[in-house]
Amino acid sequence: MAMEFKKKRVLLNGAVGVEDAEKLLEWLQGKGATQVDLAACTHLHPSTIQVLLAAKTAVSAWPADADLARWLQTVLPSIR
Amino acid sequence: MNELLEQFLSESREALQGIAERLMDLESAPGDQELMTQLFRLVHTLKGNSGLFDFPEMTRVLHAGEDLMDAVRNGRVHYSQTLADRLLDAMDFVGMLCDGIEAERPAPATLSGESVALAHSLRELLVDSGEGAESSAVAGTAQALPTGGAVPVPGSKPDAELLLRVPEAVRMQAWKQAQEGASLLWLRYQPSEECFFQGEDPLHQARLTPGLLWGGLSARAAWPDLAELDAYRCMLDFDMLVASSRADIAQHFRYVPEQIQMLEVSALDLVVPLGDPNGGPVYEDFVSDALGFLDAGDLVGLGRAVRSMLELSSSALWLSSDLRWIALLMAARPADLAAVRSLIEALRTLTAPRWGGVGPSSVAAVATTTVPPLGQATQAAAAPAAAPASATEQALANVLDVQREVLALPDDAAWLAGRIKAAIVCLSGCLQACGRAHEEPALRAAAAAALLAGSAAPVAQWLATAFPHGASQLPPVPLALPALAPVASVPIAPVPPPSEVLAAVDLHEPDARMNRRAEDANGAKTLKVDQLKVDRLMNLIGEMVVAKNAIPYLATRAEDVFGVRDLSREIKAQYAVINRISEEMQDAIMQVRMMPVSFVMQRFARLVRDTSRKLGKEVNLVLEGQETAADKNIIESLGDPLVHIVRNSLDHGLELPQVRQALGKPAAGTLRIAARQESDRVIIEISDDGRGIDSDIIKNKAYLKGLIDEATLERISDQEAINLVFAAGFSTAEVVSDLSGRGVGMDVVRTAVERVNGSISLESVKGQGTCIRLSLPLSMAVTNVMTIASAGQLFGVPMDMVVETVRVPQASVRSIKQRQATVLRGRIVPLVSLNALLGLAAPPLSNDDAELAALVVRIGEETVGLLVDDFHGTADIILKPLLGVLSSLRAYAGSALMGDGSVLMVLNLKELL
Repeated sequence: MAMEFKKKRVLLNGAVGVEDAEKLLEWLQGKGATQVDLAACTHLHPSTIQVLLAAKTAVSAWPADADLARWLQTVLPSIR
Repeated sequence: MNELLEQFLSESREALQGIAERLMDLESAPGDQELMTQLFRLVHTLKGNSGLFDFPEMTRVLHAGEDLMDAVRNGRVHYSQTLADRLLDAMDFVGMLCDGIEAERPAPATLSGESVALAHSLRELLVDSGEGAESSAVAGTAQALPTGGAVPVPGSKPDAELLLRVPEAVRMQAWKQAQEGASLLWLRYQPSEECFFQGEDPLHQARLTPGLLWGGLSARAAWPDLAELDAYRCMLDFDMLVASSRADIAQHFRYVPEQIQMLEVSALDLVVPLGDPNGGPVYEDFVSDALGFLDAGDLVGLGRAVRSMLELSSSALWLSSDLRWIALLMAARPADLAAVRSLIEALRTLTAPRWGGVGPSSVAAVATTTVPPLGQATQAAAAPAAAPASATEQALANVLDVQREVLALPDDAAWLAGRIKAAIVCLSGCLQACGRAHEEPALRAAAAAALLAGSAAPVAQWLATAFPHGASQLPPVPLALPALAPVASVPIAPVPPPSEVLAAVDLHEPDARMNRRAEDANGAKTLKVDQLKVDRLMNLIGEMVVAKNAIPYLATRAEDVFGVRDLSREIKAQYAVINRISEEMQDAIMQVRMMPVSFVMQRFARLVRDTSRKLGKEVNLVLEGQETAADKNIIESLGDPLVHIVRNSLDHGLELPQVRQALGKPAAGTLRIAARQESDRVIIEISDDGRGIDSDIIKNKAYLKGLIDEATLERISDQEAINLVFAAGFSTAEVVSDLSGRGVGMDVVRTAVERVNGSISLESVKGQGTCIRLSLPLSMAVTNVMTIASAGQLFGVPMDMVVETVRVPQASVRSIKQRQATVLRGRIVPLVSLNALLGLAAPPLSNDDAELAALVVRIGEETVGLLVDDFHGTADIILKPLLGVLSSLRAYAGSALMGDGSVLMVLNLKELL
């Protein structure tokens, strides 16, 4: 399962593909402040990143994959 | 080469041909919707097919063509000459690529650039359709010409602000690599908006960039509301710092060269200290000490001073960043002392030194405004209403972030112990400030463990548990302002690439996309077979005919040798059946090999169009009887002669429009190519209504060249004279000028036609036009021959030359000087002995009634009686041309294997007589 939806938090695991963006966007609609846990994520399709950005979703855990984490940290906000 | 690729190539050729044809047709009927749709479909299919393979150049050009055709089809862009020209150019390019692929040549590096230029010139028509196209075309090609993979912007450097997005550690690493000779590039990758639909993953592509040091994402524009967000329109840009060569990058992004911008980065541009100014420049003591060391050339002393200063200062300070750079620059061999001095002096103002080209003001602005002192930062943070964090919390977060960063630094520094101690002091202060002083013992324990292990990790762990959230290693720029509007989406994207304009158009038509898919689904009814396979079938049926022909011999043997008449009769009955089937089979295979004349005629539309435009003539090309079919070899052999003839007609036959009008002819000349079938021949006529040929000039020329004697000059008719242009040696440069070149290479044309047993004739009326008629056999695979015996050998004579076989009484053979002749039905027929022709000593045999066997044949216009010993029946044979050393025997057209295993030599009477 690439995506696990909690109450206000979504876990993205493994390689998140292009088709997941739509589902994610649906889930995020009308949710207000949300968080995303990317710890187990190995790749994020840019469409998903766009959705997270547009929804101003904060990252609660960065990917264990340091390379991916560096890329994402240039654009995604971390929770505070 | 695999089968799929082979098929692709053959289909592509076909499609290219089709595209060229449709374009020609459209020229005469620009409004034809049906043609336009067909054209679009062809381009679309071709593009789709090319996508199956690794031919980005081809796909790129075709994609541009497809978009253009789609726009034309939907009436957004109007069909124009320019459009046709560019599309044809693009298709020529694709054709050239196909040739390259077929020859398995590695694609030259310039191709990518060429394809970008072509695609660009096509796309341009999309943007400014109609009249504006002409003028912008020039600008467009000029613009797109500086090629070589991606489109580099010479001389420009990346913005200093962009470089500052790269964390200091990475910049330092890049600097080191640059010192070691690597070339640094700043890449700006702006994927097209619709790239997701094409199955691209720009992030994946960017992550795999060779020599990647750092990569960052940015949004092109502010994000819309979630409800309006189109997740599948790419709005992200990618910035990358790479240590790699331009060629490698161009290769990596070869599918999207127009989306990549490459900028050179000089190592010094990376040397920009960044950090907290912490109350402003107060380091005058250190600066003067350091400059003192530098002036004295005491690098060791300077290094010591820098290290101790570093140990004493918080790593988040601007000072520390500057010092780290100084240390790095000093470590380089040879050290750039001027740069070191600039860095030291920079401490006086806390402004990054100016390194030549980079706009220093912008660097300074970044250094001072993006990292304001803590107090200001809180004020700044309070401004956006979205961040309600209190000033203390804000400050605490900042302090913790800095400490996290400090602890995350590599553990190899000599001043590690000092760094850890400083962090401990800072953190315990934080604990006290937020009323969690009781946690201090845990911190102390972690500190002791860290100092013992020589690693900051235990403290970092403690920090992560004590202040768990935001375990971030944010880069320095947003460091001080995490509370600002989350990710200020900087619309840095400059001029949108042309593809973006396209995307905007495209995405508004999702159903158009669907339609295209539906169009793909028409299955082909034709089977594509390699010609070699058909040829093999052809050879097999030939052998079968030979084997079949052996059966009558068997029947004869059964009767004569074994005396079994009944068996002989049965064999003959069976033979009749097999004969019928094999004939049908032969016919069927012939049909497979048959091709319509249109195969060669199609190319004339383009040829006539191009040539006539070049010559400034107006030509209506009329093609008739395109469906007339003939054997593939015949049709193919027609190609070159026809091109020659058509070019001659255009160049020398048809007059310029004004000349024509002065002569009372319509301004546009007519060139008619008509094909039709006449019994077992294909007749092709190429006629024009141009100036025709002046027979007097031809006669004189032929006489001067010694091709005809004086008597012939007087006697020869105009029509005969004109046919002299086919004579070998007639086409010389002199004749070209006098006769406007008519007749150039006609000798070559004649030879090519005769090679496939065709004939050619020419009619011309001066001032009214010229008509050239080619007559060709339908098929050359099976030849019907008359077999004759002479001097005990069997020979074949092609049936189409044979007029009749007669028995001439020796008494009626008259001798005229050395020659023999006879009168046949009131006409004198010269008689020639075949034996004499072949150099055989034996005289022709006569039969019991003292009659000689004469085979009357027609060679050109002449009728000749060939004296042979005896006639045998006719036979269908597969004529094999003589190969190797035998090929110089011009007396024979070839050989064939007979049913009884003997070899039949087929005479080439034209050469013999």
